[in-house]
This record gives sequence, C-alpha cells and structure tokens, in this order.
Amino acid sequence: MELEGTQELNADPQTVWAALFDRDVLERAIPGCETLEQTGETEFAATVKLKVGPVSARFKGAVELSDIVPLVSCTLSGKGSGGLAGFARGAARVTIEDLGETTRLTYSADAAVGGKLASLGNRLIKSTAQKLAGEFFADFEAILAEQAEPAPVPVPAE
Amino acid sequence: MRSSDTRTISARDPHIGQAHRRETARRHLAGRGRFVTDIALPRMLHAAFVRSPMARGRIVEIDTSDAAQSPGVVRVFTARDLNPLCQPWTGTLDHFASMVSAPQNLLAEDEVLWAGHPVAMILARTRAEAEDACELVMLDIEEGEACVDGHAALAEDAVRAAPGLDSNLCFQTVLETKAVDDAFACAAHVVEGDFVFGRHTAVTLEPRAVVADFDAASGQLTVHHGTQTPYQFQDIYARHFALPESRVRVIAPDVGGSFGMKLHLYNEEMATVAASLQLGRPVKFVADRLESFVSDIHARDHKVSARMALDAEGTILAMDVDDMTQIGAFSTYPRTSVAEGNQVVRLMGAPYKMPDYRGRLSVVFQNKVQTSQYRAVGHPIACAVTEALVDKAAVKLGLDPIEMRARNLVPDDAYPFVSATGYSFEKLSHEACLSKLRDLMDYDALRAEQAELRQKGVYRGIGIAPFVEITNPGAAFYGVGGARISAQDGAVVRLTPSGEVQCAISVTEQGQGTETVISQIVADQLGVSPEQVKVTTGDTDTTPSGGATWACRGAGIGGETALRAGRKLQGQILALAGQILQSDPADLALAEGHVVDANSGTRRMPLAEIGRIATYRPDTLPEGADNSLTAAQHFAPSGYPFDFTNGIQASLVEVDVETGIVRLLKHWVVEDCGRIINPLLVDEQIRGGVVQGLGPALFEECLYDETGQMTNASLADYLVPMACEMPDIVIGHVETPTNDTILGAKGVGEAGTAAAGAAALNAVNDAIGPLGAQIHQTPMTPLRVLKALGHV
Repeated sequence: MELEGTQELNADPQTVWAALFDRDVLERAIPGCETLEQTGETEFAATVKLKVGPVSARFKGAVELSDIVPLVSCTLSGKGSGGLAGFARGAARVTIEDLGETTRLTYSADAAVGGKLASLGNRLIKSTAQKLAGEFFADFEAILAEQAEPAPVPVPAE
Repeated sequence: MRSSDTRTISARDPHIGQAHRRETARRHLAGRGRFVTDIALPRMLHAAFVRSPMARGRIVEIDTSDAAQSPGVVRVFTARDLNPLCQPWTGTLDHFASMVSAPQNLLAEDEVLWAGHPVAMILARTRAEAEDACELVMLDIEEGEACVDGHAALAEDAVRAAPGLDSNLCFQTVLETKAVDDAFACAAHVVEGDFVFGRHTAVTLEPRAVVADFDAASGQLTVHHGTQTPYQFQDIYARHFALPESRVRVIAPDVGGSFGMKLHLYNEEMATVAASLQLGRPVKFVADRLESFVSDIHARDHKVSARMALDAEGTILAMDVDDMTQIGAFSTYPRTSVAEGNQVVRLMGAPYKMPDYRGRLSVVFQNKVQTSQYRAVGHPIACAVTEALVDKAAVKLGLDPIEMRARNLVPDDAYPFVSATGYSFEKLSHEACLSKLRDLMDYDALRAEQAELRQKGVYRGIGIAPFVEITNPGAAFYGVGGARISAQDGAVVRLTPSGEVQCAISVTEQGQGTETVISQIVADQLGVSPEQVKVTTGDTDTTPSGGATWACRGAGIGGETALRAGRKLQGQILALAGQILQSDPADLALAEGHVVDANSGTRRMPLAEIGRIATYRPDTLPEGADNSLTAAQHFAPSGYPFDFTNGIQASLVEVDVETGIVRLLKHWVVEDCGRIINPLLVDEQIRGGVVQGLGPALFEECLYDETGQMTNASLADYLVPMACEMPDIVIGHVETPTNDTILGAKGVGEAGTAAAGAAALNAVNDAIGPLGAQIHQTPMTPLRVLKALGHV
C-alpha cells in the first residue's frame, strides 16, 4: 500500500525539523498514541490504539528515523504488532522544503499490513491511513502554532 | 427377497415425481431451526483461536501468560500442550499415485504456513472473553518468504510452502490418447486460450460450528458438528484420538448450507475435540465470518492453457490441456485437494465425440488457505475451457454456436459411450437437451434482437454451455484410494404401532430437502403419505452408517437405499398381513394407509391394525409368524462407476462497454437428472446451483497480495451474488433414468454450478467479440472487462 501527501505548515523549516524529532510533539500528534518512549537518539517505542473499520487494536512497536539529511529529509520506519488484529510495518520518506513564509512537508510511504487488518481490505485501510495522516498533520500544525505563541496563562484547576 | 423388488417406478408410486415442499422450510422460517450454534450445554466453554497474521514465518515465541490471567479464561493451549493428543493427518490417497502432502496437526508447531493458521487456542466462559484474551497473546513470528504464485512455486529454487517438501508439486498426472499429436498435426483449425479461474469460497449462511462434549465418566465423546458427513467424522475422531468408534457419536443437527465446504477436516474442529477430551467439559467453536474467510476451504484457483483441434467442417478432433491448480500449504484431509484438478482434466470435452485428448494436471502448494472440493468439483473449469474453445472455433468457422454443438455432441443413440478421457457414459441426452433449450429460449428471436440492438450500440451476448456431471459415485471415488469414506448408504425403516413410518437413513440434510425426498420414496413403498414418514438423519448413534450427502449422491444412492429398505418392510408387512388375513401376500398391496387387495384395491385392513397386533397382541398371531416391523437395508452402487448426468445452459447478458459492467438478463437450463423424485426441489437445486456458478463468474474472488495476505476477507469486500443481480432462471427437463438402480434417479445438486459460469463467459465474449475483445478470466469484473476492451 502506497500513501503520498503534502502539507504546508505555518512554520519555518528549522521549527518543523525540530518538531519531527521531538518526542512530546510526536506523542501528541500521532493519532491514538498512548505512549512514546525515546529508546535511542533516533529510536522510539510506541503504543498506539487504532481502529480500522470493525477492528480496533493496540499496536506495540518500534519507530526509527534514518537516512537523515538535516533540514531536508529523513526516513521514518516502523513495525508494530496488533495482536489479533495483525501487524503493520512501513516506511515513509519525509522531505521538507522552505517556501519562505511556510514550509512544505512531503511524505511518500509504503506500508504493509497482515492478519485481520489486511483481510479487511486495502480499500478500508488506505482511507483510514489517509485519515490518520490528515489528523497527524492537523495536530502537528496546531502544536507548532501553539509553540509559536506565548504560553497561555494556566487556568487554575477546579 | 420378494420378486417385486425389481418392480420399476410406476403409477403405484403416487408421490415419487410430485412437488412437495421441504419439510424443514416451515420450521426454519418460523425461527425454530436447531443449529449447532444454538446448542448450549452445562459447563460449556467457548473457543477462540490466535491465528498467524503472516503467510509464512517461524514461531519465535508465544507468550500466553497475560491471556491465561484474562477474565473468564479457563485454559490456553498451544501446539506443545494439545498436539500430542492427536495422531497427525496427511491428505494423500493411494489412487493419486505419488501425491505428497506434509502431515498436519491441531495447532501450528514451529512454522506458520498461511495467514490464518491457528497458533493458540483460548478457552473461556464466553466467546467474547476468549477473543479478549486472544488480544493478550504475544506472538513473535519471524516473517519468512511466502510461496504465493503457483508457477513461481514450481521453480527449482523456490521456497517450499511447507517443511519437509522436496518440491512444491503435490501431484502431477497426464492423460493421453495415442493419436493426440497426429490430430493436431492434421487439423484444419486450431483454437487456443489461456484461462485464469480465481479462488472463491462457500460463504455458507451458517458458518462452521462444533460442540465437542467428552464425558470422562462413560468415555463417551459426543460431537455436535455442522457437517454433511457425520460418519466420516466419527471415524476420524475415533482414529485420531484413539477412541473406540462405538464411544464416538457425531450429530449433525440443522446445517445451514455446506456445499462441500463442511466435509473437510479443519484444525479448529479437531482442536475443539481435543480440548474437550483434555478438560472433560463441553467446548464450542463457531467460526465468525472473518475467520471463515481465512480457514474454510477455498475453491478453484486454476490457470489453464488449452487448445482444440478441428477439421474443416468443425468436427472436434482433440483437446490438449494443461491445468495448474494451487491448493495452499497442505492437501486437505481425508479427500485430498487433488480431486478437483483430477476432475478438471477428466471432464474436458465430455459432451463431445472428441476422439483424442491430452490433459496434464499439476497440483501446486503455496502459502494460502487450502483449496478443496466445493460444489461441482472441477466441472466449472472443464466446462468453461471446453465451451470457450468451442465458441472460438464456431467464430473461426463462421458457424452458429448451436450448430457447432449440434455437429459435435455425442448423439443420443450412441450410448454406451466412452469419452476420450476414459469416462463411461450409460445414457445421456445431449441432443434432446439442445433441441429443448433452443425452443425454451427462443434462440432465433434472441439472435435477431441481439443484432438489432447492436445497431443501437447495445452489446448483448448469448452463451451456450452443454455439460456432463458426475453423480452417484461408487467406491472408485475415494474408497479405492484407502480413504475411510463410504460409497454405500444404509436405512432402517419401521412401522410404528399406530401405523406410521419412521426412516433413519445415512444421507444427510443441509437445506436441500433430502429428508423430504426420502419421505416421498418410503411413503410410496408403504402406501402412506410422505407426511406420515418421519425421516431421521445426521446422527451416527441412531442411523446406520453410510456415505451421507456429497457428490450428488443423496437422492440417487440414498433414495435407492430408502426404496429398497421400504420394499423390504413392505414385504414383511404383507407377509404378516397375509397370515392375519389368511391371504396370499402376493395378492395384497399397500395403499392409502391400508393393506389392500392387489387387484381390486379393496381395503382389507389398516396399517395401524397391523402395528397394533404385531406390537401389543403378537400372541394372537399364528405360531411362527414373524412380527418384525423393522427393516434394515444397505445399498452400494454397482454397474457404472458413476451415474453421469447431462444438460445444457444458456446465458443472456448485456455488457456496458463504457463501464465494463455485465448485467445478467436471463438464464436457461435444460437438465437430465434421470428420474425426478421431486420437481420442486430439483428446480431449487438447479437455481441455487446456477447462482453459485454465476457468483464466481462475475463477483466472488478471494484476493491475495504479493505477501500472501487475503485482502478482501470480509463481506464488505467479498462480493456474493445477491438476488438483485441474479437473472430469472428458466428450467426444462429431459428424463433419462439410470438402469443401474430401481429408482433410476441420478444427482442434480451440482448441475447448475457446473455450466452457469461457462455460459456467462461465452455470453460476455459473444457481446464484446465484435469489438475485437475477449476475456478469459473469472470473475469477469468491470475492470477486467474494460481491460479486455482496451479501455484501461
């Protein structure tokens, strides 16, 4: 299954690049991410809860960043086991491009799934994956925007 | 035995040949069915399976500790715990010379061999709790290279689909007549084609279901099993779990469709029995729809290259066929996965006078779900290939497809006839069927309409497909290969004290109306109405042992068994009545619930009176009188090894050349199944069969990706034929009873499926042929039609 997309982000390339390697940002932006632990400089262990059609599963897996060309591109690869739901593995090449005011992020991913996830049909999985990618970038951008503004005054807890 | 035993069917059999509704239909419609799924026993546990998500891999670790602690879980089994209970099974038979297959056991041991292969079994108080626990099993599988494509699997350096295989070739055979090469050398015309037939599966309304109940106190194993072959499973459970056969009872209650899918042995059913033996508690397993797709057998999956030689007049001289069929990692047990391909190469050209033939079959392992016998085993492939080539030849020779067939069908007066592939036909009726079909469909008018519509840009096509169907198989089918699969059946018929009749018989009921047909036959032997005959099936403790229902043998062999049992009891009743009435039994007969005078029909005494005297007042009978009102009879087919049937189908389609969508407009079948016992049920069988033939021709396909993952294993993506897509199906009959039996009935269950796809394929090619397009792959999806048209 191949996925491709681009996203224009309201931030400079340095901010985008740093956010891509920021555990806290990733944890908040990855849809369904329950935990994300940094296990090495470019390695993470993740637990992600996902629902694909009628199958919902908690994936445990490893994420690794490689082929890093600072401020230009990197490859994000991962594999996870979702128990009964099956497994998923894939790699995405992420490229960023300075557009002056904004930064364009382009990704091209190749993913494979197995077990129930696969048997439910690529059609369903692809649309879900595209939806998840959309959610990721919406959250990612929101976090970037948040960081660009001064921190809001904390509201006292009730 | 009385001399009347060879009396043929006549007016004295008022219910044979009449339409009677299925006995079970009212009960099922009222929601009163009793399926295995409905069974709940005290202390019963529910099973769920952890399956391999990969098509091929090595099990590194299975951690079940969290699952074992999950709420409601009673036990978690892996291969190490459970497999030692079971003698492994191997799906080979001796008459398929040199065939190989790896032995199988309950759960995957070191390697997983298809996506869906069961690895661990969880037993819990409810299925939901068992499924929840499955989520907690940590399965570490090192993914290996899967063997996915059959042609690639045959390469010498190809990875093997299962451990221990020398190659991925399960079986190979070649059938050949001496002059086949000469026939091609001197042929005026040769037509050829490469065909692909996709995988599909049964999608029964009721999925596979089993409740195993081992009583450690008595040593009795009772298995409630949604199957068509309870005796076969009684034998398997006894042998593979080392139990005395008499202590194994298999009960098949209502079964919601089977179609061949439910007569194979599956890991899950065997594991369920093993778990019950181990725990001493009832265990239930019901496949859900998702796991059905990755564990029920699949069907077909053939790639066929074929050519046909003809003389200048269009006479078929020979066919040369190469069939490669892909069967999964194992051959199924106990019938093998070779029978399908074997029938493909033997049924090629079956309706025709073709003198020469070469058929090569290669059966190949791969890492997918097993394929095996499914309704119309091999027939749709042989029929589609043969008929596509006949149509190609007709186009080449400028002959009408009907004329082309008329020139080549085996003439109705040419029997007995032996086909080029070695099949012996007792008596078939191809010419009568062709002629009847032509009238039934108003062929000439349809052709005129087709030509007229084509002027307006409407592309309609007409496809014709004669067929031969294998029914009533004898022991040559499986028994000679060493399989403990019975070719005979048994019936026990008794007259109750109140003059009603009970018949316990080994053929089984899966919704097709077996019990109704048996009641009609027995009723006529005993002079009662079918409603007065209670038929019991599907219980190895209460019915005699027999082959049960498969390969279109229920009516032909089961019916003959019932007839002979009924006549035996008739003889006993008349002998007793003769003594009571002081008449010669030869002057007596049974009719309308009475012993009557054979000549005048005058009533002499009610059957109820015979029952009363024999049961409650045997003391009033003359000395030495035999008061037995129970007769047991077994029957094994003899004579021809199979009772072949024949028929012809036609399909009318309209192809939208812009979208590639094929609309089925109408379908015709003329069928000769010998003696028709119940015309309503025969037509139901034909219609259902046609739908099951059209499904894979246009819609149904199990799709796999290059890593061996099935990618449409749910009813959201797998397309089954629905009522709105199906055409009206018009049916006509020719009746040529077999002389091998008194009843004269042959089978009919697979006839519809045998040729429906071939007729549709020819119809689509007839529609798009004028545009220079041809399609040789099923299902004929819109995309494939558009590709054939060169639009994509």
